[in-house]
Amino acid sequence: MTDKPEGRRPDDRRQANPDEHVPPGTPIRRGEDEMRVRAAIRDELEADAPTHTQEVRAVAKREAARKVIALQNVFLTFDQPILKDVTFDALGGETIVVAGESGTGKSTILKLLLRLLVPDKGQVFIDGEEITQLNFADALKVRQKMGMVFQGAALFDSMNVYENIAYPLREHTDLSEDEIMARVREKLEFVDLDPDRVLEQLPSDLSGGMRKRVGIARGMANNPQIMLYDEPTSGLDPLTTATITHLIIKLQRELGVTSVVVTHDIRSAFRMATKIAVLNERKISFFGTPEEMASSADKYLRDFLGGF
Amino acid sequence: MLEGFNKAAKRRIYGLQEFFVLSGKAIGFAFSRPFYRSDLIQQMDAIGVQSIPIVLLTGFFTGMVLALQASVQLKTFGATMYIGRLVAASMIRELGPVLAGLMVAGRVGSGIAAQLGSMRVTEQIDALNTLGTDPIRKLVTPRVLAALIMMPVLTVINDFVGILGGSVISSAYVGIPTSLYWRTVFEQIASGGFIFKYLPNDFVHGLLKPFVFGGIIALVGCNFGLKTTGGTEGVGVATTRTVVTASILILVVDYFITQVLLAFLPT
Repeated sequence: MTDKPEGRRPDDRRQANPDEHVPPGTPIRRGEDEMRVRAAIRDELEADAPTHTQEVRAVAKREAARKVIALQNVFLTFDQPILKDVTFDALGGETIVVAGESGTGKSTILKLLLRLLVPDKGQVFIDGEEITQLNFADALKVRQKMGMVFQGAALFDSMNVYENIAYPLREHTDLSEDEIMARVREKLEFVDLDPDRVLEQLPSDLSGGMRKRVGIARGMANNPQIMLYDEPTSGLDPLTTATITHLIIKLQRELGVTSVVVTHDIRSAFRMATKIAVLNERKISFFGTPEEMASSADKYLRDFLGGF
Repeated sequence: MLEGFNKAAKRRIYGLQEFFVLSGKAIGFAFSRPFYRSDLIQQMDAIGVQSIPIVLLTGFFTGMVLALQASVQLKTFGATMYIGRLVAASMIRELGPVLAGLMVAGRVGSGIAAQLGSMRVTEQIDALNTLGTDPIRKLVTPRVLAALIMMPVLTVINDFVGILGGSVISSAYVGIPTSLYWRTVFEQIASGGFIFKYLPNDFVHGLLKPFVFGGIIALVGCNFGLKTTGGTEGVGVATTRTVVTASILILVVDYFITQVLLAFLPT
């Protein structure tokens, strides 16, 4: 494992004042505690960035180079072509970042992986199973292997935070209500939210960053093998962006989850990606490691990276 | 131009096909597991119980105005004692189901379309799919069942309150004794004939129609809600379309049900 920087970890927020009693539903203040957490995350990200890629590769190696996700020669057309001959794959424990300009079909790839869309031509494999031919009921089963984090979090606004995260557990497991509560608390703690404060809150009471974190907690509630993220850091301030990036890395590092992240945010992409796929003109114009991308002489990639 | 017409026609036919597929699935899911019982109860409250105030108001005033108009017309023939028959026949067979249907289409149909439309544009429907839940089973089936169950109940309330409103006007304004009014109401119900010996034909008319209207309102609302595109503006469009389409369908289907029932249940 990597050497962690000395100092406070995000979980220290709870450890700092163990006796402090916080009534449920109390709104979270952007006070000293949160600033300390953010500073700790920022320090950790900066310290971890260079060693991160090697560590993820080690996880991938442990997964015995098993292809968990694969798109092969996928074509998709609505009124006009959306994707042309798209091919890439992800080994167990890898994080693939799909980058590209707006409107190039990046989010469509996630919908293909979830089988919310079916390609006109080509194949999509999830954990070795070809999913394009599945019927609706079997597709629902395959989706249970995946957790999805939506751009706007897509929390059910008629349910509170607890009910949102408990939803997949109630749907697909026989866990008792006590076990569900324990799992929900565990996931909220994983995403650095204090369960006592947020469990009873409605999504409309949460800030954008907190909604995203609850979205991640809901996505991982069923302990999926695969996590999909649609623009996880869009519309967030730089520090909240760092928090979310940190969570994606943490999920991959601690749980060995295979991830596909659609993002515009190149800085975060370089921090979290094992490989980056760049979509240009409806095709994958580059698929490789962040280092290969950074050292590429391709004009489009240079322009795309801009000043980064 | 011909191509444009072609495309529009195809889109309409495709839309109709989607509507019937949605309807079939929604009803089919009522007979298989998992069944979302708590959602059904919640929807019965939202669609039925919370619609009672507007149904009480519309029913009562419709009954009063019917009695008022009837009194003017029947006075000419010296037949004001038959106000009860006229109010009962109109309310139970036609006005009760249709007015309750139109009111519920405005209140509930628009609500369903707005709620599902908002869920669509904020990706909550996609989230349900990705969490391994069929949105039709979770969202549409409970709403359709709730509407099928609650519309006849609302119509019975509407009918009763309407006849009560007629009674108030006929005794307070026309001067007909309340007992005579209610006797003519029961006479009217009996004169319509019976099916299965004890079930008045008027009740068959009055209960079959709201059952069908309930299905129309919920299915139209869910159909337009789930198909919403174009952000918040799209939600507005879906809501308007639901109210217009459901209201027109209620009036058109009402005619055809009446024709069929009159053919099969002669008085």
